[in-house]
Parts: sequence; C-alpha cells; structure tokens
Amino acid sequence: MISRPRRPNQATRWVVSAVAAAFLALLTFWSARGIGFSFLELFGNLGKMSRLISESFPPAWNFWPRLIGPFIETVQIAVIGTLIGSLFALPLAILAARTVSPSKPVFWFHRNLMSVLRTMPDLFWAMLFASAVGFGPFAGSLALIVFTVAIVSKLTAESIESIDMNLTEAVKASGGNWFEMVRFSALPQFLPQYVSYVLYAFELNIRASTVLGLVGAGGIGMVLNTQRTTFQYDRVTMIVLFVFAMVLLIEQLSAAARRRLV
Amino acid sequence: MDAAAQAEPAIRFRGATVVYPSGVKGLEELDLDIPRGDRLVIVGLSGAGKSTMLRAVNGLVKVTEGDVEVEGRSVRESQGGALRELRAKVGMIFQDYRLVRRLSVLQNVLIGRVAQVPTWRQMLGLWPRPDVEIAFEALERVGLVDRAYVKASQLSGGQQQRVGIARALAQKPSVILADEPVASLDPVTSHEVMDDLRGINEELGITTLINLHFLDLAKEYAVRIVGLRQGRLVFDGAGADVTEDDFSEIYGRHMTAEDVLEAQVAL
Repeated sequence: MISRPRRPNQATRWVVSAVAAAFLALLTFWSARGIGFSFLELFGNLGKMSRLISESFPPAWNFWPRLIGPFIETVQIAVIGTLIGSLFALPLAILAARTVSPSKPVFWFHRNLMSVLRTMPDLFWAMLFASAVGFGPFAGSLALIVFTVAIVSKLTAESIESIDMNLTEAVKASGGNWFEMVRFSALPQFLPQYVSYVLYAFELNIRASTVLGLVGAGGIGMVLNTQRTTFQYDRVTMIVLFVFAMVLLIEQLSAAARRRLV
Repeated sequence: MDAAAQAEPAIRFRGATVVYPSGVKGLEELDLDIPRGDRLVIVGLSGAGKSTMLRAVNGLVKVTEGDVEVEGRSVRESQGGALRELRAKVGMIFQDYRLVRRLSVLQNVLIGRVAQVPTWRQMLGLWPRPDVEIAFEALERVGLVDRAYVKASQLSGGQQQRVGIARALAQKPSVILADEPVASLDPVTSHEVMDDLRGINEELGITTLINLHFLDLAKEYAVRIVGLRQGRLVFDGAGADVTEDDFSEIYGRHMTAEDVLEAQVAL
C-alpha cells in the first residue's frame, strides 16, 4: 500500500504570511505619512463636501449649447490623432513584427522605438508639444498622434506575429519580393484586426483628448477647467454629464463596428 | 533554341545534400537529371526527403552541399533578384493550397504574376491588362473562371487546389513543383486534380515534379518514378514498369491498404 504523505510544515507558511502582512502594513503607513493621507481629515471636511455637492446640483442644464462647439473640437482632435497616428503605426508595426520584419536589426530598431513611444504617457507628450507649438488643439492632436502610433503599432505588431507564415511562402515561391509578400499574404490576414485597433484607439483618444484639455490642449476639457477654477460647480456637473453621454455613445458605436470586423 | 540548350535538362541535381540546422539530413548526395517535359513522381515515406527535394529546386530550402540547376542556372548561386527570377520560372503547388482566403480567386491567381509586374502597380492594385488576361486564361484552364470574383475561402478543397494550380500556371513557368497536391483531398477530387496536372504537362510541355504517397496514383500518373528513402535515391524507373516489389523496396516494408488511394474508397 502506498503510504499517505505527511502534512507539510505549517509553521514556515505562517511566518511568511506574517512577514508579508507586516511589510505591507509598514509600506502603507510610510506612504500615508509621506503624503498626509488621513481618513479623519476626509470626515472632518464632510461639511465642505456637502457644500460642494449642493452647489453642483441641479446641473446648469441651459449651459449645454455652449458645450457643443468645444466637444466637436475634442472629437476633431481625436480624429486627427487617430487617423494620422494610425497611418504611421502601420509601417512601424510591420517592421516591428518579428516574423515579417525584413531583418533582425530593422526589427530591433523598430521594436525599441515602439517601446520608447509607449513608455511616455500622453500627458507628457501634450506638455512637450504645448511647449513647442503653444497651448491649444494643435498640441493636443500632436500628442494623440504619438499616443495612437504607440498603441496601434504595438497591438498590430502582435497580430502580425500570429498570422499564418506558410502563406508568405506561396508569394516567395512565385518570385515575389518583400513588399509583395507583405501586400498579398501578410496584409490581408491582419487588416481586419488593424482596423479594429484603429477604432479602439479612437475610443481611447476621445477620452484622452478630454483630459488633455485640462492641461490647455483645447477641446471640452479646457471649458471644464475654466468653470472649475471659477467655482461654477453646477456647470461642471453639466459638462461631466455631457461628456459621459457623448463618450458612451461614441464607444458603443465604435464597439459595434469592431464586432462586425473580426 | 539551339541544340545544346535543348539537350540541357530542365533540372539537374548534382550531389545535392541538405542538412537542416537540427542535424537532420533531408537529402543526401542526390544526382539526378530531369529532362524538359518530364513528368516525374517522387515517392517515399513521410520524412524520406520528398518535400526537401522539391524545395531545393526553387531555393525555399538551401542545399548545404552540391547544387541544383534549373535550366542551367545554379540555385545555390542565385541571390536576391536572380533568385526571384529563377523562382518566377518555377510554379509551386502546396498540400494545403496556400491561398489567401480573404482575397478573391482572381487576386490569388494574380500572385503568380508578382515577378513580372512593377511592385508599385501591385501595391495600388493596378494590374496591367495582359497580366489579368493571363490569370483569366489560367482559371479557364482549371475550369474555375466563373468563380473569379468569389472569395477563395468559399471554394471547396478541390477547387482551392485548382486555384493553386492556376496561380502556378499564371507564372508561365517552365517547371511545376507539386508538393503532395492531393493529400488533403478525397479520391474523386484527387483524380480531377491529378488529371489537371497531367493535362498541363502533356499539352503545355511543362516539366512537372509531383510528390505523392499513394502508390497507385503514382503508377497511374507518372512517366517516371523516383523513390527516396532517408534522403537517398533508392529507385529510378519508368512509371509503367514499376512493380509492387519495387515499392516494398522503397518503403522498406510491404505495402498496406494505407499506401493506396483506391483501397480507401473500398473501405
């Protein structure tokens, strides 16, 4: 008969758990001290909070017509960022896809370029371009172009790496060169995914361009910032509701389109 | 064409050896002349080197020793543009068809013209009229011209393989390599595809090399049969004269029902 195994030693597990818990508690305490985090303070300020909430409601309903123009600007920033960014992302993705890239050095260069672009957050690019071309929608769209290149190229490169490479052999066997191989065997396989990523990037860009407005890159975020700094909280609520409805609508439309694609 | 060029074989293997990076020998010191217009069937167990032998002809597999010549041109020494030029003269048909399923039948056949048309025209889809005409003629040859604008994914297996044949024909090749062209097809369709290949060889005079593992099909369709075993040439004879003993010799065992196509129909 096979003997039953002995129960493993529980003591070491207890020690490990206790040390881990103590470490996390210390880490939390250290961070809270560092930034002055305190629940007491939050509760102490409940009075201020309730004043803020009462000032925020009811929303300034009649303010919405003044939001349409800025929101269209937000959409325009997102459109420029998405379309121009996606145009650059396509060749970058092809060159940064291990299986399709024409050579190892070309692959490594573009793979690293992609990583660098992705490391920087969109707000960083917005600040950078705002310093270069001045605050406004132009800087915002430049930031979103970079953001789109980063995200669409990364996702597309991964799709390209998962295509059926046997097909590329058929083009090669017919005497095709690298461009013809990409055009006739790689591209038809990953194109639907690419278009889907472009739509996804557009959804992200609508949200991002709202936030970019807060740092002065144009669009509805800029209106939001103006109303907030002048304490018009009922208008702020209206803006938030408006943005919420619009973003939701655009996301639903885009998601429906993406479902049809893949 | 002068007499010397006529006498030159379509394909010449000269001590062709292929050793894969894993150390596996795909082909060992193969010496073989294949005259123009020949219809050669290569038989052997899987792993015997049939695919390697075909792929050495268009350079999809590089010979590590020796050489292969296609119409007098060394495959080994052909690089870049010269290699693409050589491949353009050699059509290839694959077991799994290798069609781009999302593209139309016509677009798939036009891939056979890539080496003849400027790259920029292809990128924009601006195929010259004469090339489109060649593609249509190839589709007429395999009886699928009515499906030209249908997506390749909507065709049956046998039809897809015939599109594969049309793609190879659109190259206007002097050699066709067919790598297990009927291994994924049922017996009736297998015969249709093999009839197409025989017709192309006989009527157009294109030198044709076909890998098969069904021995009855090999005997029926080959002018000449060569047998490979562990990368070595172990048989070379006329298709009409080959006997069951010869096959046993190539396979290193007696024939079974799985080695013939018709026995499977009976099952």
